[in-house]
Amino acid sequence: MHEIVYYIATVWMTALLCVCLVMVVRAKSALTRILALDAVTLVLVALLVIYSATTGKGYYIDAAILLALLSFISTVAAARYHSERRIF
Amino acid sequence: MSAYIYDVFVVLGLLVMTLGVFGIIRMPDLYMKLHAASKTVVLGVMVLALTATALHEESVVARTILLCLILVVTTPVSSHAVGRAGFLLHERMSSPGAVDESGSHLGEDTPTWRL
Repeated sequence: MHEIVYYIATVWMTALLCVCLVMVVRAKSALTRILALDAVTLVLVALLVIYSATTGKGYYIDAAILLALLSFISTVAAARYHSERRIF
Repeated sequence: MSAYIYDVFVVLGLLVMTLGVFGIIRMPDLYMKLHAASKTVVLGVMVLALTATALHEESVVARTILLCLILVVTTPVSSHAVGRAGFLLHERMSSPGAVDESGSHLGEDTPTWRL
């Protein structure tokens, strides 16, 4: 029962990842593209958390934490550079 | 019995994340897309992270709590950065009754009074 639920969840999150990647390519403005890239990274974090819940290994959540921090830094840097032409 | 509750949480997280991605696609405006991305997707990730605590292992539970704390702290900052960039670049609101309440982008032919 639980294996079926986690399997369906993994397939569904992969479909959401593909939809977000299409949204990154087809975005009209650069800020929408930055926003969609942030969403892509959060979907990847959710995929890693689901995979960690299926296998029971804790170190996949380490990769999820690193991805969340990197997406935060890259989103802030890209948005600030796009609006003010400087990061700091 | 409690395992089925975690299955319900998995379905709930999937539903919330699907709504968030659908909102990013279908919302007409940058600010509304920001609303969908910053609230809905993060809440979906946190509900899914709650299901990883079903294993009752200490390492998984501690890392899940750390992940939730990091998401709670960093997501408002990044969404505020994107919204500020949109405001500085004169990104238009597409809803019909939208009013820029800061008044810093008023043109010369627009009246000085605001609603």
